Amino acid sequence: MTPRPSLRRRPSSPASAPPLDDDDLLSEILLRLPPQPSSLPRASAVCKRWRGLVSDPGFLSRFRIHHRRHPPLLGCFVKTSDELYFEPTLEPPNHVPRARFSLQKLPRDSFLLLGCRHGLVLTFDWRKLQILVWDLANGLQQSIAFPPGFHMVETLIHLQGAVLRAAADGQHFQVCLVGLERGSQQNYARVIACVYSSETGSWGNLVSTAFPSVPYLHVDPTIVFMAKPGVLVGDFLYWALTGNFVRIIEFDLKRQSLAVIGIPVDMDSWRDYEYSVMRADDGGLGFLFLSDFSAQLWKRKTDCDGAAPWVLGRTIELVHGVFMIQLDPLQSNNVVFLSTVLGVSPLYYPFESIYTAGMGIAGGHDGAKLLHNA
Amino acid sequence: MATREAGKKMIMLKSPDGMEFEVEEAVAMESQTIRKMIEDDCADTAILIPNINSKILSRVIEYCNKHVPTTGATGAAASDTVAPAALAEDLKIWDAEFIKVNRATRFDLIQAASYLNIKGLLDLTSQTTIDTISDNSLEEIRSFLSTKNDYLPEEEQTIRRENQWAFQ
Repeated sequence: MTPRPSLRRRPSSPASAPPLDDDDLLSEILLRLPPQPSSLPRASAVCKRWRGLVSDPGFLSRFRIHHRRHPPLLGCFVKTSDELYFEPTLEPPNHVPRARFSLQKLPRDSFLLLGCRHGLVLTFDWRKLQILVWDLANGLQQSIAFPPGFHMVETLIHLQGAVLRAAADGQHFQVCLVGLERGSQQNYARVIACVYSSETGSWGNLVSTAFPSVPYLHVDPTIVFMAKPGVLVGDFLYWALTGNFVRIIEFDLKRQSLAVIGIPVDMDSWRDYEYSVMRADDGGLGFLFLSDFSAQLWKRKTDCDGAAPWVLGRTIELVHGVFMIQLDPLQSNNVVFLSTVLGVSPLYYPFESIYTAGMGIAGGHDGAKLLHNA
Repeated sequence: MATREAGKKMIMLKSPDGMEFEVEEAVAMESQTIRKMIEDDCADTAILIPNINSKILSRVIEYCNKHVPTTGATGAAASDTVAPAALAEDLKIWDAEFIKVNRATRFDLIQAASYLNIKGLLDLTSQTTIDTISDNSLEEIRSFLSTKNDYLPEEEQTIRRENQWAFQ
């Protein structure tokens, strides 16, 4: 964010106008309010002038950009077999009520939550083949048509996706869809991926890679799902497959290429184990594996030869229950949910965002417009 | 343009109360406003900085002196021997000492940083102001920043109700 004053603007003399009387300077100061959701509602209760400043759409946009690197973890979306809801985790006064992130407008019986990141929620309506990106910071919803290469509904066995904002600015976002495609020989044939850019308003080319040939119709069928949320590690997106052929799908956002990589442990079936991909505390790819009540953190070390062996890092002892594991206190939002209760655990999608929608409502002109998808 | 050492261009900055400060061009150009003046070639002899008195201007120059990048011809040795992380940590400690000033001085520095367009100084001064109030009650914020509550009691109630959770 560059400060706005220029040569043309002469500030009045310090004696006659303290900075708090100058709207531009006061805005500059208020921009540094903590990114916690209660900051702006509280500031707007100080006096009318403050309210006018902090509910200005330009200010709200600058506020989101100023804090974009350190958004607070507001809570998580919880997906059970028949329910999807927001669970706030911050203490009052930053405990944003569950209803503020209600996804009730979405068709309950035909949509999937694919992921959330950088304040955006990505859903997929499989009846209408429609992708929806919801900016919860301001309530805006954007509907995106399904990419051409993904139209083969019969052959597309599983779909996953991720949404992220382009690093350089807070405005544009990308959606990455990945799918596991079935082949003609009753096997899983390949992994496909496609990236949408809101900047160009279009999908990029379809990329694909061969999937190890494993039969899926057999006496003891191989089952592969893409049920787990994706993880962003640097310029890579990762999804852990589930089923009895557990692998990790890697998508390189820079090179736009796909890879299927192995996991560090032997697993016969996902039914017996709990695991998750995550960002390791050294910034690389991590794999969290629950063995009895001890969680092992494996790290993938990429050496100069391009080989990437897994190395066992530390282990964390757990008891019975669901845990939010935070590895690096400096990256407070790098959390992963792990349940020691096998088989029934819901999916947790940590949700971090600069929440200003409350201000938009209060100010009445945040430009929020809901696209009805009825 | 004056030169003090070989390769170092000097710039004269004048405050409205008649004080003159000779500073290295690189230091002065920490201010985007001054940088633009120099680049537009309207800074031949001395630059008058309006509205910033000598006391504040000298503090601003002190800040720019400390924060001017040590890379390039003038400070290559320093950046070669000191790790960037250690340098950043040193600057943080220095900043924390620098900003231990009274409120009036801090507000003057905010104004100067804004006019001269020195992002780091504006960040430091504004952030310090916010940090002093962010844990306080609304009443304390108003009193600390001499801001008058101009809401009618029922208006304030309405505003609180819109985001009730933020006041719990």
